[in-house]
Amino acid sequence: MTEKTVIQVEGLVKHYGEVTALDGVSFSVKEGEIFGLLGPNGAGKTTLMEILCCLRRFDEGNATVLAFDLIKDSRKVRGSIGFCPQETLLYDLLSVRENFAFAASLYSLDSKKFKERVEFSSKFLGVGEFLNRKVKELSGGMKRRANLAVSIVHDPPVVILDEPTVGFDPNVKREFWELIQDLKNYEKTVLISTHDMFEADELCDRVAIMDKGKIVALDKPDILKETLGGETSIRIKTKEAPKKAVSLLKEYKCIMRDDEIQVFVKNPWRIVPEVSNKLISHGVLTEKIEVVEPTLEDVFIKLTGRRLTEE
Amino acid sequence: MIILLLFTAIFGREVPFTANIGIVDSDNTPLTSNIISAFNDTTIFNVEIFKNKTQALEALNATDVRAVITIPKNFSLNLTTGKNTYALLAIDKTDPQVTQTVEGTIKTLFSEFYKEIGNYTEPISVIEETSLMREEIGYKEHIVPGMLCYPFLFSSMVAATGAIVYEKHKGTLKKIRASPVRPLNVLFGKTLAALFQTAISILIIAVLAVLVLTPKVNWNVPLMIPIMFLGSMNGIAVGLLISCIGRSPQAASSAATTIGVVLQFFIGMYFPQEFLPTYIQQIGNIIPMTYAVQAIRSIMLQNAALTDILQPIATLVVSALILYAVGILLYKRWVEKE
Repeated sequence: MTEKTVIQVEGLVKHYGEVTALDGVSFSVKEGEIFGLLGPNGAGKTTLMEILCCLRRFDEGNATVLAFDLIKDSRKVRGSIGFCPQETLLYDLLSVRENFAFAASLYSLDSKKFKERVEFSSKFLGVGEFLNRKVKELSGGMKRRANLAVSIVHDPPVVILDEPTVGFDPNVKREFWELIQDLKNYEKTVLISTHDMFEADELCDRVAIMDKGKIVALDKPDILKETLGGETSIRIKTKEAPKKAVSLLKEYKCIMRDDEIQVFVKNPWRIVPEVSNKLISHGVLTEKIEVVEPTLEDVFIKLTGRRLTEE
Repeated sequence: MIILLLFTAIFGREVPFTANIGIVDSDNTPLTSNIISAFNDTTIFNVEIFKNKTQALEALNATDVRAVITIPKNFSLNLTTGKNTYALLAIDKTDPQVTQTVEGTIKTLFSEFYKEIGNYTEPISVIEETSLMREEIGYKEHIVPGMLCYPFLFSSMVAATGAIVYEKHKGTLKKIRASPVRPLNVLFGKTLAALFQTAISILIIAVLAVLVLTPKVNWNVPLMIPIMFLGSMNGIAVGLLISCIGRSPQAASSAATTIGVVLQFFIGMYFPQEFLPTYIQQIGNIIPMTYAVQAIRSIMLQNAALTDILQPIATLVVSALILYAVGILLYKRWVEKE
């Protein structure tokens, strides 16, 4: 990763009628970085990505990709980006190779380069095994791999992935994360959107947390967790009387969520026995007491008061 | 329902159509003036008087009139003195349906006139002159040019309709738009694909027509190709317009099919335009494909040369340019609305 800025976004605003989808979004992405946009549905991630791919206009602000202005140099921007949206944008009745050929024609690739890129995708993304099969005959995972491969057929320096693993089972998801991380080895700058905090944590060098069209926090995942994730929490599930338990633990910072009490402390291992004794001595039986390190979800909750998965 | 209404409009009328006929009155007497008035009084004929037969036959050749009646000298004298008398009839036999109606009506009118004046012994014979048109032309010859124009609506228009809206619906248009390809190139690519599809359809219809119907028509392919191209371009442009505003492939396809089914009646694909009610003719006149059908029919049935079809070619070029300009604007507006 270098210090060269590849994507620069300043004060981006986008309205859909009365609804403000983006409300003054600013950030920059460095060369070779995997940059995550983390937020719930409706946070404005897809709108932001589609604006960067020149698929949507914006109302205010400005943005550049590889120093090309999104409006003035729209064609150069589009030529520099490989966009892989969450839906599979392949032609079902064509084979994967034919889809490659079509995508290559959009970027005016010559036959030599096309051959090289198909070979690269066959090895790197493992599409070689089903290159000649029709898309409609492929499994969901194969389609996604083919989709990513077709999106980067022109060897773009910038790859934009909109929720690339949504709907995947955990094994396929992890396999896909490895592929995305490998893109860094090929000097790609990756902008990825997700509402999966583990994905953001696992994959991204830096994460921008978005909510209601705004970036509410931006940093490395570890720093975000450390600074905004709050204290490590003790999670307690009681058999009964959870409200009584909360009142018993009022000396600590604690909240109730989904029948679970979360106690935020700095030294959980020292506090756990104390908390446990206090509850038992007052007749509150516990089902579970566990120590949970802060996650990006905690960061999001702290910043917005809501879970990532809430609508 | 629409088809039913159209069939009713076309066939369910007392007066099937209006035809222009020419009369050369070489006798020029009050009696012949009465006969001309009788023709004029019908709602079927628009009568044009020609000074000489050459001019009248030129008009017949140019399809300005459907038939020419020549009233010879001494027609009135012969009639009033009880001798045999006759009128000469030259008729455009391009379209058998029209021919039958025009010929039948003219003969009936002469017959009625004879009965009306009743004092005379010999009826008026209507002698058919050697036809200036090819007498072998039947309905199959008439229908083949119309069939060749069928793909303008059902290949060009329907294929183009699916082009944008399908990509929009499937999401693949997003991939295309995210690439450096210009919107104009997208429309150009879609046009080429639809043109190819139309060319295949026309070729299949032409081969089947030759093999199955064996029509006696003029296959002036070099002259037909530009008309086919322009007719297809107009169909594609209309299809692209529907595609740009269509909300789903199903809705756009249904709209295109319905429009196609209705337009086939308006553009004179199966019936000559004169056979249609006036208001349908007027609507047909503002549909570009009508001019393609007319031009193809002129080439195939009347051996028309390039100079004879310059007007429809010009109309088709202008309409295609206008429709494409609107299509590009609509597509760009839709893209910018995103």
